[in-house]
Amino acid sequence: MSALGHYLEEEGIPTVAISLIRPQTEKTKPPRALWVPFELGRPFGPPSDAAFQKRVILAALRLLERERGPVVIEDFPEDDPRERPDPEWRPPFAKPDLDGASAARLAAALEDESERVEGAYRRAAKKRERTIVGLSGLSVGEAGRYMAGWLRGQTPESPNAEMSAPLALRFAVDDLKAAYIEAALSGSAKPSSKQLGDWLWNDTAAGAAIFVLRSMCLTSDDERLKAIAGLFLVPGVRVSQSG
Amino acid sequence: MARLTDLPPAVAKRYAELECPSFATTPWADGPPLAERRVAIVSSAGLVVRGEKPFRGRDADYRVIPSETRPDQLMLSHISINLDRSGFQEDWNVVFPLDRLRELAAERVIGSVAATHYSFMGATDPLQMEGYACEVASRLKDDGVDAVLLSPV
Repeated sequence: MSALGHYLEEEGIPTVAISLIRPQTEKTKPPRALWVPFELGRPFGPPSDAAFQKRVILAALRLLERERGPVVIEDFPEDDPRERPDPEWRPPFAKPDLDGASAARLAAALEDESERVEGAYRRAAKKRERTIVGLSGLSVGEAGRYMAGWLRGQTPESPNAEMSAPLALRFAVDDLKAAYIEAALSGSAKPSSKQLGDWLWNDTAAGAAIFVLRSMCLTSDDERLKAIAGLFLVPGVRVSQSG
Repeated sequence: MARLTDLPPAVAKRYAELECPSFATTPWADGPPLAERRVAIVSSAGLVVRGEKPFRGRDADYRVIPSETRPDQLMLSHISINLDRSGFQEDWNVVFPLDRLRELAAERVIGSVAATHYSFMGATDPLQMEGYACEVASRLKDDGVDAVLLSPV
């Protein structure tokens, strides 16, 4: 991000960068940057809090009025209030009993669960008039079935001529995760990202299935599949927690 | 949470030690008061308007996001899975604060909002983006933009 600031500024366009990782910004030295103490993925802070977001944007844009450079890095003083858990939030369904389940049983549980989540996801998307599901081109149930095929040891054909099968698997997993989170966000409670992540990875058949898929793909002879499994299925923090 | 002390030690170390480009020059462009500026968002979140090609791997090019884009049309195809997406799912302004810029323009805090915004893939080696960044600079100038809010993810 800071490098883009450098390139645009070289072309005469004034820029100000939001910085999420201060040491990287300090190394690249963009003309102006505002470091924010928010989690990765939330450069402007809490969702559904216009006043807070505006304070972040204004703190950044005001740096454009500084008369002296060449490098200005300031810190935003407020924390994101949405990092606190909401005790009122409840997951959309109870944790399935899958302790010690085989890959085949997980595949069946994933197919069943993703079909059920599809309804909750569709209602949530309609209510919010928005969804980020759609990278794979599959419906939620189809994404679940596509992943279940891999879990059963098959190499299902890519559903999209423009994507390799491993890429389609990656996007199917992305879409499934996104649909579960959107279904979990449908109520009035305001869960933290950690609450949502804990639920998805610890308390759903989808989370358990993605962990197993990752392990299976890491032993594949297909280097693309191995790379996708290592980098794109399970967040690093969840891998380290699972031991 | 983006304080490195809050991240798992291995992740924090990787971010802190990530190789970043350093430049011999320190450019500094000036502009008019904020209330007269035309502001664009340039994001590195791998944003893509639904129907356009998602970013794959570490593509160095960019995607165009017209100001008329609606929240239900914007997707996030960044390759990192170590970033939260639930904030963006709940409210696109967390990553792409177009509604906030419109409000600031209506309040006359900024001059206006650009007609077009841009997105790159932040995980790409920045040196590969230079040519595309120059292309974006030219398009921003054509739009009269004199303030860019650079947003990572």
